Amino acid sequence: MSNGPLEIKAISGHSGPVPGQDVSRDYDVCKLVDTTTCIGCKACEVACLEWNGYEFRETTFDNTYQTMPDTAWNFWNLIRFNEHENDDGTLSWLMRKDQCMHCEDPGCLAACPAEGAIVQYKNGIVDFNQANCIGCQYCVTGCPFDIPKFNNVTKKVYKCTLCSDRVGAGLEPACIKACPTGCLHFGSKDDMKALANRRVNQLKEAHKDAGVYDPEGVGGTHVIYVLHDAKNPEKYGGLPADPRVPLMVRLWKGPLKWLGGMGMIFGVLGVFIHRVKYGPKHVDKVEEKRP
Amino acid sequence: MSGGAVVRPSISIPEEQVVRYTFQERIYHWINAIAYTYLLTTGLALFTPHMYWLAAVLGGGPTIRFWHPWMGVLYMITIFWMHSKWKGDMIATKEDKEWQKHVKDYVENRDDKMPPQHRFNAGQKQFWWVMFYGSIILLLTGIVLWFPEEVPRNLMWIRPIIVFIHSATALLTIAGFLIHVYMSVFVTPGSMKGMLDGTVSANWARQHHRLWYEKITGRRK
Amino acid sequence: MTNGWIDIKNTDVMLIMGGNPAENHPCGFKWAIEAKKNRNAKIISVDPRFTRTSSVADHFVQIRAGSDIAFLGGIINFILSNGRINKEYLVNYTNAALIVKEGFKLPDNGVFSGWDDETKRYKDISTWNYEEGGDLTPKDAATFAATASTLVKPPAAPAAKGAAAHAAPPPKPAKVVKPAAAAAAGAPATPPPPSLPPNVAYDLSLQHERCVYQLLKKQFSKYTPENVSKITGADPEKFKKAADMFTSIRDKGDTKKVGTIIYSVGWTQHTYGAQIIRTAAMIQLLLGNVGRAGGGVNALRGHSNIQGATDMAGVFDILPGYLKLPVPADKDFNTYVTRTTPKSAKPKEWDSYNYWSNTPKFAVSLLKAFYGDAAKKENDWAFHYLSKIDRKYSWAEIWDNMYKGTVKGLMAWGMNGVAIGPNSNKNIEALKRADWLVVCDIYPEETSSFWQSPGITEEEQKKINTTVYRLPGAGFAEKDGTFVNSARWLKWKYIALEPPGDARRDHEILATIFVKVRELYQKEKDDPKTKFPDAIRDVSWQYVNPKAPTFTEMAKEINGKALADLKDEKTGQEIKAGQQLPGFAWLKDDGTTTSANWLYCGSWTEAGAQSQRRGQEDPSGLGIYPNYAWSWPANRRVMYNRASCDLNGKPWDSDRTQVKWNDALQRWAGNDVPDFKVDSHPKDHMGPFIMTPEGTGRLFVPLAGMADGPFPEHYEPMESPVENLFHPKQSSSPVAKSFKSDKDKYGTPKDGFDVVCTTYRLTEHYHYWTKNNPVNHQLVPEPFIEISEDMAKEKGINGGDKLKVSSARGEYYGKALVTKRIKALQLGDDKKKVYPIGIPIHWAYRGIREDREREKGNTTYLNPINMLSPAAIDPNAYTPEFKGFLVKVEKA
Repeated sequence: MSNGPLEIKAISGHSGPVPGQDVSRDYDVCKLVDTTTCIGCKACEVACLEWNGYEFRETTFDNTYQTMPDTAWNFWNLIRFNEHENDDGTLSWLMRKDQCMHCEDPGCLAACPAEGAIVQYKNGIVDFNQANCIGCQYCVTGCPFDIPKFNNVTKKVYKCTLCSDRVGAGLEPACIKACPTGCLHFGSKDDMKALANRRVNQLKEAHKDAGVYDPEGVGGTHVIYVLHDAKNPEKYGGLPADPRVPLMVRLWKGPLKWLGGMGMIFGVLGVFIHRVKYGPKHVDKVEEKRP
Repeated sequence: MSGGAVVRPSISIPEEQVVRYTFQERIYHWINAIAYTYLLTTGLALFTPHMYWLAAVLGGGPTIRFWHPWMGVLYMITIFWMHSKWKGDMIATKEDKEWQKHVKDYVENRDDKMPPQHRFNAGQKQFWWVMFYGSIILLLTGIVLWFPEEVPRNLMWIRPIIVFIHSATALLTIAGFLIHVYMSVFVTPGSMKGMLDGTVSANWARQHHRLWYEKITGRRK
Repeated sequence: MTNGWIDIKNTDVMLIMGGNPAENHPCGFKWAIEAKKNRNAKIISVDPRFTRTSSVADHFVQIRAGSDIAFLGGIINFILSNGRINKEYLVNYTNAALIVKEGFKLPDNGVFSGWDDETKRYKDISTWNYEEGGDLTPKDAATFAATASTLVKPPAAPAAKGAAAHAAPPPKPAKVVKPAAAAAAGAPATPPPPSLPPNVAYDLSLQHERCVYQLLKKQFSKYTPENVSKITGADPEKFKKAADMFTSIRDKGDTKKVGTIIYSVGWTQHTYGAQIIRTAAMIQLLLGNVGRAGGGVNALRGHSNIQGATDMAGVFDILPGYLKLPVPADKDFNTYVTRTTPKSAKPKEWDSYNYWSNTPKFAVSLLKAFYGDAAKKENDWAFHYLSKIDRKYSWAEIWDNMYKGTVKGLMAWGMNGVAIGPNSNKNIEALKRADWLVVCDIYPEETSSFWQSPGITEEEQKKINTTVYRLPGAGFAEKDGTFVNSARWLKWKYIALEPPGDARRDHEILATIFVKVRELYQKEKDDPKTKFPDAIRDVSWQYVNPKAPTFTEMAKEINGKALADLKDEKTGQEIKAGQQLPGFAWLKDDGTTTSANWLYCGSWTEAGAQSQRRGQEDPSGLGIYPNYAWSWPANRRVMYNRASCDLNGKPWDSDRTQVKWNDALQRWAGNDVPDFKVDSHPKDHMGPFIMTPEGTGRLFVPLAGMADGPFPEHYEPMESPVENLFHPKQSSSPVAKSFKSDKDKYGTPKDGFDVVCTTYRLTEHYHYWTKNNPVNHQLVPEPFIEISEDMAKEKGINGGDKLKVSSARGEYYGKALVTKRIKALQLGDDKKKVYPIGIPIHWAYRGIREDREREKGNTTYLNPINMLSPAAIDPNAYTPEFKGFLVKVEKA
């Protein structure tokens, strides 16, 4: 989490109006990951580690080129490698850069109880502020992409910041800077969508199901993918076809919260009225004969 | 059967007293009550941003995140202890049905119309079972929420369900808790004394729990 | 690279084979992606396994490691049978029309003419030559019409200039054909060795049965899709699709489109590696792709400065600038330059620049740079100070000599000989027998720790008497100077940080040693035991601090300067004595110029270090960036760029104009620096390939150009799972070099070595260094072996199981990576099932993982990969066969 001069849109666990409005220039930022030109070189993995100052962690060979099975609290950017045999007998080796998707409607933020632990900036970046994080991991529960990762020592949750510190200073995220093939792009959401659609049109020649991944279920994301096969995003290492903030989280943070609140208020009111109307019970004093 | 002995004071006192709760029962009850209150306030802080100020009052977010589950453990220990002591008294009886029929009289303080009751009336029993089963649900879901990082990736989908159940169950217990506190503090004079001093007046016992009173004293009208 | 990295963006189709640029050159590979995105260019990936490059390719074909010539030969056959050629280019810019000597025989039985079965060598290669005799084009109307558009004209008389001479020329009188026998009889029967004839015979209609084109057709007629499939294991349909896709640029006579071939050590590391690359060059000549933006034959170099190392004579038989090293027979300078300077050999009516005719100028300037004032005309420019090479001192031969005991010591700078291999066991054994070893490195690597290699017990360690000196060198970021990249750019880099602790920049250590040695020579110069002190004493060592020359000083020295006032008579331009030379055109053979590498002349001029330029201008939009860094030769970005234009000097594709003939200026000009004689009018018919005496691209390589024959032929690797489909009796290359020591063993399928193994690098690691770097170690922590799913099933191997891979020479251990990206192959007429495997090279016995394992006492899994590979080498480039050797695979 940075203190970059970005305009805040929403913060977690906060009941009133949002503080820190109208701070700085902003536009709707977006990272475009063109999986069809990604070569899985992992430059983004290293750039992410180095920019964010995370050091070496042990890994084990696991029958794959993938660095580790999943992202980690100090490893936010992971290329997922998947071999896939196509119907026409050809092979695809799909490489997808996995990181926080920076949802427009972030499930993590909805679920977070800690005030200001999660900040959504007007430009679309969803950022964690570990100073306010209480380590409850409700954000993990709220995230349909399984992105936030808990550190058992600091008891805080971490994830990709979309380099809010760099973006706030007018730079592109570190992964974008490091990408050698230019499969990563960064700019306004409109521009990135246009670029992605142009590439998709080109791809349709050979891949009829090519498409842009910008899931509606979470209000669209500020990280979008170009996929050869947008109909089956799962084969790109578990990219959900229709990610949504879990229904139970919605119910919990919506109706249940209001019902519970109302219930408590009316409950207190109810017993108060009862007390006023009926008063206390009286015990009839009967002197009994002692044995 | 616990809590049954007649105190025979050597000096004259205004009213005859009977023991309702032993020292141990009272201690456990109050530990349980304090734990529940902590769980309630910290839980509410985590439940809604409108109550997050409670977190600040209670030492800050990370603090309550740390203590809430431990307090839950303490709470559960006392719940289970109370269960072991009271489960016999909490079994439903035929008198409960009678009581249920007269619940309106009970609510409107027409105690004279109430059928005689054992140590606990049907309302108290209902409250107990709500709290007992509710607590077990809160415990089971709470363990998952305590260590969510241990949930296997393929079972991730249960976590939103768990968190919902935990909150909903907590709200249910809050309803019971509210009535319980209200009844004991504002509606039934003498009950608080029973839980503090351990004794209630014979009259109180006779009026509210006649069958229990007769049993422990051996008196019949 | 004939072209450059950025130029790849101009292509329409890429054949990426023998290389995996997405894996090993990810930064350069961006230009392939640019071509894909902006031009909708297609990528064809041909490899023994589905690689990172294949993952973004439009078409992938799996072949057996080592079967590349068969695959490319199949493409040549496809080109010839489908007319996918640029005929004008082919006839005029290549030697397709030139006629080969009678008696030249194609290798139908596995050897070309001149083979001596007793001595097992090519004893007489005089038939590997052109016929003498001039124009043999049949003069009947039909063939005339067929060749009219491409017909060569005689050198234009001044009066003819400007006239409409580009229309069909009048037929020339037929020449009297000299009988071939007569030509042969005219040649002396004994050495001097045969040379190219001055007046080469040609047939512009390409009909003559011995013209290169017809011989080519014959040679490659057996490379049918079916045979290609039997040899390579590639599906015939997939092969045909690849051939069609790549050559589609010449479909229906199109000459606008262009394709590029991109390769790397997957082609060089075979016993016929140079011939694989030649086959690719031939494809590009047939298609007319050489010299064009988006075309060419592009070698991707495997280290950041390996191009620079090669240019500066990092090869045993050359001097800087690819000048040949003297041999004992070169009794004086004149003999040497006469031997090494090619004479123009071309059809009389054609013109040839024959740029190597300037060899004496380059050689004298080099000797002046080496020995300064001590190099005088009277002493043959100190020519005798140069060592004369009496035998091959190639990499594998050095180790063989050390193993035999004739090489007693080794100074190892910037390399890790044990890990590099091949046959690391032999190298380790050789080091045990050496007296001393000096290693300058930034890590305690395998070579300086050879005595710690797995399997050497403490008892045995005590018996090793080699004295090892470890010198702490400096890393690349701790030095300035230039890197020369694959695109031949000299780019200056700056020091990022000082070497730590006692470490010193490598060249400072070398300079200190030199100064010390020279002091010894000076001190003991009267001692009769001091032999030949002049060569050391007279070295020009004009640095401010002799023990620590700066790279600035050296870069200026390499560029060269004038030793006297010079004047260009044509332009009137003058250079004062002591000034830096602006380019190699100024070099003289009279001792008035110096240059330590003629190719780099122009890189540090009076205007400063050209390699430090960072100009971002690209007026053409072709990615030429003429003011960014400096590209040899003469800052031209695409070599042979005259060939980007047709005979009349008009670009094949005006959207990708590099240079063109400017009639107003009467010279070649354009976006790039012309790689040509700038005032040579198109009518002069000067060949665009100015470095060959013919001026043409060589489909047929005459004389000793290639040790293994004028045409490529498919040979099997030294260890092969199958016999050669074409000539089982001559399965592998007859001239491939292998060694005879007890450590040089070769396995056969009969001995159980039936799996084809290939080796390669990963993006995540850099050779044998980065296993010392935590972040790289984290990305890929331990060695693995890639095997196919069906092999895993057959042998009961699961992903992650420990495997033992053994060849006839050694063993290697790693974990199994079971993948769909490698498939079993079916080879030969009987569809023999052969399993290929692949192993990344990066690990051995020193590094983060290795040192930790050693501390735990586990030494089993620390073998270098090159314990498996054979010391069998290519006869042209002396590169070992790191790809396509035989192993067996077991669960460990």
